[in-house]
Amino acid sequence: MADMVTLKIDQQIVTVPAGTLIVNAARKAGINIPVFCYHPKMEPVGMCRMCLVEVGYPQRDRVTGELVKNEDGTTKISFAPKLETGCTTPVVEGMEVRTTTEKSNEGRKAILEFILTSHPLDCPICDKGGECALQDLTMLHGPGKSRFIYDDKKLFAKHVPLGEMILLDRERCIQCGLCVRFQHEVVDDPVLHFYQRGRSLEIRTYSEPGFDSIFSGNTTDICPVGALTTVDFHFAARPWEMERDPSICAHCAVGCNLIYNIRREAKSGGKTVIKRAMPRQNEFVNELWLCDKGRLGYHYVAAAERLTQPLLRKDEKLVPVSWEEAYQRVEDKLRAEQVRLVTLAGGRLTNEDLFNFHQLNQSQNGKAVLYSQMAGGDLTAQIGLGKGSNFSDMGKGTAILVVASDLHEEAPLWWLRVKQAAQRGAILIVANARPTRLDKFANHVLRYEYGQEAATINALLDGKGKDEFTQAAKAFSEAENGLVIYGSDGLGLNGSEQLVKACAKLLVERGYYGKPNNGLLAVWDKPNIQGAWDMGFHPDRNLKGTLREADVAMIAAADPAGDNPILAQALEETDFVIVFEMFMTETAKMADVVFPVQAQIEREGTYTSGERRVQRFDIVLPHIEGPKSDYQIAAQLGRLMGLSTEDRSPVLVMNKINEKVKGYQEITYSRLAERAEQWPLISRADSYYAGTGYENEYGVGIQISSSADRGEELSLGTLILVEPQEEVATGIKVVPVTALYDRGQLIQPSQILAKRLTPQVLLMHPVLSKKYQLQDGDQIKVKVAGNEIVSGVKLDADVPQDVALVARSNGFPISSPVFVQIQRLVPEPEA
Amino acid sequence: MNKLYNKYEKEILGILARYPAEGKRSAVMPLLFLAQRETGYVPTEALSNIAEITGISETDVASIMGFYTLFHAEPAGRYRIQICTDLPCALRGSESYLEQICEKLGVKEGETTADGLFTVEAVKCLAACHRAPMFQLQGDGEIKYYEDQNVEITMQIVEEIRHKVAAEQEA
Repeated sequence: MADMVTLKIDQQIVTVPAGTLIVNAARKAGINIPVFCYHPKMEPVGMCRMCLVEVGYPQRDRVTGELVKNEDGTTKISFAPKLETGCTTPVVEGMEVRTTTEKSNEGRKAILEFILTSHPLDCPICDKGGECALQDLTMLHGPGKSRFIYDDKKLFAKHVPLGEMILLDRERCIQCGLCVRFQHEVVDDPVLHFYQRGRSLEIRTYSEPGFDSIFSGNTTDICPVGALTTVDFHFAARPWEMERDPSICAHCAVGCNLIYNIRREAKSGGKTVIKRAMPRQNEFVNELWLCDKGRLGYHYVAAAERLTQPLLRKDEKLVPVSWEEAYQRVEDKLRAEQVRLVTLAGGRLTNEDLFNFHQLNQSQNGKAVLYSQMAGGDLTAQIGLGKGSNFSDMGKGTAILVVASDLHEEAPLWWLRVKQAAQRGAILIVANARPTRLDKFANHVLRYEYGQEAATINALLDGKGKDEFTQAAKAFSEAENGLVIYGSDGLGLNGSEQLVKACAKLLVERGYYGKPNNGLLAVWDKPNIQGAWDMGFHPDRNLKGTLREADVAMIAAADPAGDNPILAQALEETDFVIVFEMFMTETAKMADVVFPVQAQIEREGTYTSGERRVQRFDIVLPHIEGPKSDYQIAAQLGRLMGLSTEDRSPVLVMNKINEKVKGYQEITYSRLAERAEQWPLISRADSYYAGTGYENEYGVGIQISSSADRGEELSLGTLILVEPQEEVATGIKVVPVTALYDRGQLIQPSQILAKRLTPQVLLMHPVLSKKYQLQDGDQIKVKVAGNEIVSGVKLDADVPQDVALVARSNGFPISSPVFVQIQRLVPEPEA
Repeated sequence: MNKLYNKYEKEILGILARYPAEGKRSAVMPLLFLAQRETGYVPTEALSNIAEITGISETDVASIMGFYTLFHAEPAGRYRIQICTDLPCALRGSESYLEQICEKLGVKEGETTADGLFTVEAVKCLAACHRAPMFQLQGDGEIKYYEDQNVEITMQIVEEIRHKVAAEQEA
């Protein structure tokens, strides 16, 4: 327990830990000292002077050192002659702070008048109008009139794009430096800075592309004025016209909490539409931040070509039919004797969907397959991150091992939080086949060749091998807490399985499991892969064979045919294919029955994040006429097959889940809605601290316990590794990696991100390219498993010399390491 | 490594040697000065070169350049005649002095003479109020003060420089 200090703020007695800044002590006591440049997640700088208050210190006798008393016996307080900044001054015992005296009011008023001398007051055309700290604080503390000359205001071009996503209005900037400090201190993308000084000062970026940061959107939240705004929300709506609906980001396994602001508008033909995505505070998950993919990549929800009616194959064609007819057809199929059923589910389905699908599948003795190329969901359920874990609590004494993951691309918020833990003193070990953005913050950086992932972890377990391995092994074993974060960089399902076993063994042998801030964390590529494992779905090493041999395949939230022509061939051999989809995917085109389903934002449900935090999301938009939720359709089919599957509400499905699924006993919708005390204490009502970010009124979710947390006996299976067989093949070895801005279905519709999407290229080292006489920018034909794909070539000295990399979901049917043949395409001579 | 480095490798290594290896960013100022020496301004390419040498971002380098008024982002004449027009200098006639210098050189404030030699700039306090009017001459990698000026004396200096440059060109 830190030393506590008691002080008086405006007649209130406040007790806070020593070292607390005056503004924070006041905020905890419900007193808002206005701030612009201060943010509790950054170092204080005292630049804007808005937080000036009267500060008095207990007076001591210079000779005796005793406290001087007043006549009435109280300690004499001597106030400094001038006001002090509350955001840089730590509290001391016996201090007295006055925030509402005439003197401090005058100070505030003067600072506001001064700030407003160069502010354009163009609130009527400002996107920040209505949720602007400067507006609010001026109303509260400001002078009604200015003594300065209006014509002397600085004039700059307005709405200058800093890259394609963020707009800068230099006239509105009050030079608080929050954006600059956020980019430097918090996310380590130092691509914004002041240029010039005084009245000529402006924010500039020199990166290429402009404002090159995957966290850029957050600067528009913390900007206390309308200087930085997103292109996405430019002239889009007024804050007071919009409603707020809480949701969970569906782009990765972090599960960032967000708010969708929606509005019914004439511009959209009277429809209710999402106007923007904003962060919702969850200090256990995303704190106050969102990555730009989460913030700007929501447009897929409005994509036009949605399926609205069940389709049935009649005379080789898919034709719209009634729900009854479609259900009937499926029922007939399932009722046929000895049907081999396979249910293939994707990681975008909710826990409720997956539970109902699993019930239906089980009743027919089907095989429940998870459409994923990562292994280990059974192990994370047993020795995963312990209940009560929070990256924010990690620092000295914790060892974090990140293996086979470029966290910055795979799970940006985890990258941020791991980086911060390392900066607080956690031992960070990063093991990858190539450099990543996390290396800079690591105490130990280990390199291996693709294919040696599991062997690398084994080397850490033995503590043998090269020097850096023994040092890292020692550092990892000597910590109080330890966790392993494993990703899928360059891995297919086989490699992933080997890797996760090795990781599990390391954790078990070191005793890092079954307690908070210890255990195994998987960087899943979809929001609810962990939930799918928990509900009984597992990936299949021989998906091709499984599909081929199935009589009936139910495929939900997955597009195997679109992803891989080999799986498309396999599906052609499946007798009967039922697809649950929003869009007419390649798989849906091959189906016998297609059920149209609702998008995440049109329904409610829960996701289980990588940290195994179950989080609930609400209906954001009214659903379009036609589609139903996956869980409803699965339940209906279940009922037809004589089951008592629940189709009325996800709440009721969850009640069944908590009876039947291990670890979910404590989960009910009402408990998921419980709030938690969080610091910083933000609030939009008084526009304090978080700018336009939202406080969490909807619940922070519940991290479920692992088997180890519950003290259950573990059944980790055999953790003995199989030596990977060296494949004998010719050509270039290509391994898949994850890019944040891939070309997946969910990101393509966001035009604003179009320029930042990963190019469709084979990424290779100059040495390898030389071998094939290729140059940067060349076009090649890639032959992989009987297919030919035209691709570009990009050279990158960070890539290992003997492999080429491709991004997943980027047009290549490559989901595990594979050898390919390439051929250079000679451009046609111009006529 | 890059253009700037290749051109001045020895000098740059000398600059870097002044600072600890992990504090390469400290070399930003002398490197900016080096980059400006030849052309009188810091081209954008030099910013990225310096960023690469010091391991900080181009934006950060630009910010440091932008903060100091003696670094210039835009090309101008070989010599910048920087006349102080702050209050004490103005009281001693620096405003009309500036006007007349401009007239003699046939330019407006901020402009460059046709021969590309001189740019006249009005600047803030140069801490020589007691010897106003005054100007500072920035060019050829140097900065010189000329105090107690009037138009005649200044134009003499200008002519001397013109002669010097002409002689250089002949040689």
